[in-house]
Amino acid sequence: MNPSTGVGRAPTVGRGPAPFDVRGFARTAQGSLRDEFDLEAIARAGLAPECRRTLAALAELEGATMAYLRNVLVTATHKDARVTAFLVSWAYEKYWIADALRRIAGEAEDPEDRAAGIATSGRGPVRRALAGFVQGFDVIGAHLALGYVDDLVLDLAYARLAAAAIPIATDPGAAGPALGDLIARIRAIKSRHTAFFEGETCRRLGASPRAARLARREIRRSPWPLGGAAVGAAERAAFVRFATSDGAAVAALARGIRSLPGLDDRTATAVVRRLGA
Amino acid sequence: MAFDIDRYTETSVSVNWSDLDLEVFRRDPLPESSLRTLRYMADVEYHTVCYTRDLLTTPSHREADVSAFMTMWNREEFWHGEALAAVLAVHDITVDYDALKANRMKLGWKDRLDPIKQSVLGGLVGQDFVAVHMSWGAANEWSAITAYQRMAELEEHPVLAELLRRIAKQEARHVAFYTSQARERLAANTKAQKVTRFALSRFWAPVGSSISTEDDVRHVMTHLMSGPEGRRSARKVDDSISGMPGLAGLTIVQDALDRLGVS
Repeated sequence: MNPSTGVGRAPTVGRGPAPFDVRGFARTAQGSLRDEFDLEAIARAGLAPECRRTLAALAELEGATMAYLRNVLVTATHKDARVTAFLVSWAYEKYWIADALRRIAGEAEDPEDRAAGIATSGRGPVRRALAGFVQGFDVIGAHLALGYVDDLVLDLAYARLAAAAIPIATDPGAAGPALGDLIARIRAIKSRHTAFFEGETCRRLGASPRAARLARREIRRSPWPLGGAAVGAAERAAFVRFATSDGAAVAALARGIRSLPGLDDRTATAVVRRLGA
Repeated sequence: MAFDIDRYTETSVSVNWSDLDLEVFRRDPLPESSLRTLRYMADVEYHTVCYTRDLLTTPSHREADVSAFMTMWNREEFWHGEALAAVLAVHDITVDYDALKANRMKLGWKDRLDPIKQSVLGGLVGQDFVAVHMSWGAANEWSAITAYQRMAELEEHPVLAELLRRIAKQEARHVAFYTSQARERLAANTKAQKVTRFALSRFWAPVGSSISTEDDVRHVMTHLMSGPEGRRSARKVDDSISGMPGLAGLTIVQDALDRLGVS
């Protein structure tokens, strides 16, 4: 992983990584961050408007786990007890990440726009469940690939928030270090999610050309970031502007996507295009 | 009383059994019929996330409180599964993810159609369908508490009783959430009451029925709910359910026992 951008993790294909310990992950899942960080102090210290807006969008995106669960659990993915066991703790960790971000940034703007976005976004559960009949177990790999790509996309924003390239606070030295610590902590928590998604995706897409084909299709047709419907159009656009301002980081994102078996340049380009980067 | 979702999420923990000496089961093992019931309970707890799926296909997933609750609820129930699996493991019964997957594979078409059916119904009935889910959830959680209490009484095993007491204590908070949601949605909404009454009386079956064989369901219900004491417990659950707005007179648990031939 490039430490300055947080993306472009080295492909694991051929390295034979140890299988992800789902039980161990569940046992050590990170709950509330309220005791570990003085979130109110970070909020009080004053954030650059651009950062505050991004943090608010991230809170919504991280908290949108139920929409993802709905989409994947109506298919064969719900049969895989190892995956569902992971998703239970994954949703829990993301809930508390969203909680911390929301406490710093306040509520996201334009809630009306947001509600409309949810009502009209993507395919509904019936269509997904029907498609799932045909897709069978190969769809699990595609769903996990979505989780992996979404982690890479969100990490673009976290990386930029963490970087010193832009002033974190209007008063540098106030919220900066504390916010930097929190972002580092969140990225550490999320790195386990990414590791699970990456390992599972590599294994499944590498073993099944059909799973890889489904993954390519799901990735190309999905809105990025994945929970984009949870934020309004204007907030989503602002988020993407912030996250993708560094061309090198976007290139690293494309490399990260291409590093998965069966995912081609076209798929990576589609994500970048759909991001509007 | 309104359910305090913030307080619930802040205090939600995985059930702890590290201080309980499960090795006592090696010297004093549970009888085979009890292990079969325990295995059923573990399967149901692990399967909770799949019930979430049914709930998420309806409009309710758009509500922040419901999402927050379900996140914590899923995790608590998962850990109930892990705790029960730990007891089973001491009896050399392995409940691993592959075994669970194999069980879920057996469900076949009925299970695959469920989210579609739920979603279509949810779409037709709209917001009122959330009342059905919340009442259904309340009925399930009341049944779960009762099942754990009965199991503890019947076994008279101090370590098992303590573990089941801790699990039931968490289930009580789930009941509080579901009942507060159900009451709010049923009160002053006669359509929601009618739909809920119809759905519960026509379709409700003991928790786990949709993921287990009828033999297993009958075994568990006979084990926990037969005889005068068992019937009294079933009646208590029915009284709680029928105490909700518009559901007076419902006896869905006792009806289910009658259908299974459990007396």
